[in-house]
Amino acid sequence: MGREKAAKEALNLLRGRLCDPTFVFKPLSDSPESNYSKLKFIISSSVTEACNNSILLLGPRGSGKIAVLELVLKDLFLEYPDMISVIRLSGLLHSDDNCAFKEIARQLCVEHDLLFSKMASFDDNSQFMIAMLRECGLAHKTVIFVLDEFDLFAQGKQRLLYSLLDAMQSITSQAVVIGVSCRLDADQLLEKRVRSRFSHRKLMFLPPSKEDLQRLLGHILSLPLDSTLPRDYAVEFNAKLQNMLADEKFKQTIYTYMDSDATVNHLLRFLFRAVSYMDLGSGFLALENFKTALPNIQRQPKLECITEYKSIHDTFQTSDYYARNVCLRAFEHLQQRELISFTDNRGHNQSVEFRPVKLLISSYELQKGLKSYRSCPVILLKLMDREA
Amino acid sequence: MPTIARSNGDSTPQKRRLRSDAEAKDSPISTTVKWKSPRGCSSASPNSLSNGTERDFSDNPERSPVKKNFGKFISKPKWNPGDTEQMREVKEALHVSTAPSTVVCREDEQKRVLEFCKVCVEQEKAGSLYVCGCPGTGKSLSMEKLKQLLVDWAKEAGHRQPDVLPINCTSLAKTSDIFVKILGDAQQRRKVNGSATSALQHLQNLYSQNPRSSRIKMMLIIVDELDYLITKDRAVLHDLFMLTTFPFSRCILIGIANAIDLADRFLPRLQSLNCKPMVVTFRAYDKDQILKILRERLSALPYIVFQPQALELCARKVAAASGDMRRALCVCRSAIEILEAELKESSSNFNSLTVEKACFEQQTATAPDILKKQDIDVVRLDHMAIALSKTYRTPIVDTIQSLPQHQQILLCSAVKHFRGGKKDTTVGELKKSYMDICKSSLIPPVGSLELSTICRVLNDQGLLKLGQSRDDKSKRVTLRVDEADVTFALQGIRFFRNCLQ
Repeated sequence: MGREKAAKEALNLLRGRLCDPTFVFKPLSDSPESNYSKLKFIISSSVTEACNNSILLLGPRGSGKIAVLELVLKDLFLEYPDMISVIRLSGLLHSDDNCAFKEIARQLCVEHDLLFSKMASFDDNSQFMIAMLRECGLAHKTVIFVLDEFDLFAQGKQRLLYSLLDAMQSITSQAVVIGVSCRLDADQLLEKRVRSRFSHRKLMFLPPSKEDLQRLLGHILSLPLDSTLPRDYAVEFNAKLQNMLADEKFKQTIYTYMDSDATVNHLLRFLFRAVSYMDLGSGFLALENFKTALPNIQRQPKLECITEYKSIHDTFQTSDYYARNVCLRAFEHLQQRELISFTDNRGHNQSVEFRPVKLLISSYELQKGLKSYRSCPVILLKLMDREA
Repeated sequence: MPTIARSNGDSTPQKRRLRSDAEAKDSPISTTVKWKSPRGCSSASPNSLSNGTERDFSDNPERSPVKKNFGKFISKPKWNPGDTEQMREVKEALHVSTAPSTVVCREDEQKRVLEFCKVCVEQEKAGSLYVCGCPGTGKSLSMEKLKQLLVDWAKEAGHRQPDVLPINCTSLAKTSDIFVKILGDAQQRRKVNGSATSALQHLQNLYSQNPRSSRIKMMLIIVDELDYLITKDRAVLHDLFMLTTFPFSRCILIGIANAIDLADRFLPRLQSLNCKPMVVTFRAYDKDQILKILRERLSALPYIVFQPQALELCARKVAAASGDMRRALCVCRSAIEILEAELKESSSNFNSLTVEKACFEQQTATAPDILKKQDIDVVRLDHMAIALSKTYRTPIVDTIQSLPQHQQILLCSAVKHFRGGKKDTTVGELKKSYMDICKSSLIPPVGSLELSTICRVLNDQGLLKLGQSRDDKSKRVTLRVDEADVTFALQGIRFFRNCLQ
């Protein structure tokens, strides 16, 4: 296989991996202290011991709560094939109690091959749910309720949460309620009755530590040795990858990127970009790929119109080089793009040239923008450096 | 941090433990039957068992204290956490949904309610009662027991057995449906056309006419979560309690809710009619009561599961916080799980050590001896302390510590901004403070778009609160966490320490 073809295949493989959350979260789930094992332990002990449980998964968006939950459910389906049924609700769609009960009834009907009637009333649906829970309890089948955007269910009278958690207080039902939320104080939002019935288990999904990060990068970006790729290419790729991962400059780049948002999702987006820059000729990932990706992700659309700024600056230095109307037009463009704004809100009777103006973007951004603008004249760069 | 305070060895808890030990010794057979799950067991009936335990309770005080002390030395063996059957039994005994056959520590309240109902049934008179108390204090549980007790008493005493109708107000689609439910039970043959006013009127007519109503049995209506019936005009609640004031009313109404002053606030008219409901308050459990209930649950098991100090710590903490029995049971189960995890970890360590031992023959086998000394048998004080801190801790400090740097800087700038006593500000102002901090400490700031994203992420997590506005800059921002929490969380980093001074 030619080098370029192998490289293309490797690229596709890597890009596919980066888009698949279940692959990404597997290595973080191997240790017994991880959230994966804790969650699995709680749910499987509820299934085997036939008792009820409730748990909250908390963490910022993009930290992998639903991904880990799906991994756990997938594994549990394999271990206990007929003993689990899953009902999924979302706070964005089903926060209204009527809607929620209807959806629960519908999913239960689909699961157990019953006929669902759209005309059933709220009362009927809630009775149906309690009856089904009892039936499933007698048949030793655990019903797992997954409530996404849990904090949205806690608005209003919280009737759904109360009914679910109350049904779990009786010995005839076998259910697990898993709430997923990005609000850390989600359990403080519950009414005191509902909170008393909730079992106060919380799993925090915190951003990965530096060691975990290294391990994660290694896991995602290493090529498998037993696939259709030529073996020596894969070995060389992995060796080069390990060298790069240990390099201080690479670590610095990654850490600077993660300084503003440390969730795994954020990292994956960056990796996708970087991997796409891989040079297909050589077929290896290099540090330059990552460095190029960094400003591309952080770039903002405003920096693309930096040409206007250049002309303004030039006019202040060499006022007779450009025609006046060109300057004014450039000035207006800058104002429209919100790179500058007038500091005073007084009337427009004064002519534009004499109104004080302030810069809306930071000087650091300006510098970065100018550096990435290829055809920037040297005089401008020198000016920026002098003023910095 | 939970404080591990020891009790001064007072005598009262000793005596209680002895009583339960002696009871277990006396009647091992009946107690094991008591704890089988209701699905599997058909022969256990609450009445015979409760009578049995009552007799035991009455027997014990007559024994001499010397004999009691003797009983203490014949203590139960410790349990084996590795045995899955035992583990399952213990977890079931401590589960919230396992209802014990006698409701301990609520005898007074139950007696009051039972006496009231007995009088009503005897005289075939209507009445209303209001049960109130914090969540987790045993109200619904006691009412469950009461139903059976009342029916049995009526049968024994030769009165007409009352009908029982439990209603939970959260299951009502409309508040006025409660009358349909009451009527539906009393008049099976008649078909009401479903409109609520006619259901209420029907009931009112029924209870005002003597000949029709005397044929109906007394009805015990237990209304749980009464405050869901409170509407703006309070009509439904009023009408419900007014039903008991009709001359020929047949209902005994028991309302359950959390608010202590519900009767005073929402039913003032009843006082003028001189039929305000009797109020029975279920106070929050105190430390001794929680301890007693926990021991009662564990007394049926033939082995010791908890170290006694661990149970005391749990009872003390939960009583100080809320007095909620569900919380206490949850904490105990959590402590057992921690023990289980420790067991698993130590067994894997043991396995790896035996492998090592096989490899290095010359080393004497001191490792297994050490492990034997740390035999994991009962739930100790440290397990309970970890379980308590997990339940009562807020994740705020951990989360702030694990935030990425720029998010922490923004949070700090918010704290500094709000120090002067201001309550809220705009996103634009916040961004300015952020820029100032970055400039003064020579950290390159992030761009404006990213700052908005950071604000949104902090809002999602519940650390800041963002208002609504078309323009991003003029959204109002308030801080949702305590300044002290932020300072405490970030005190380990010098930059933030200086920043927040």
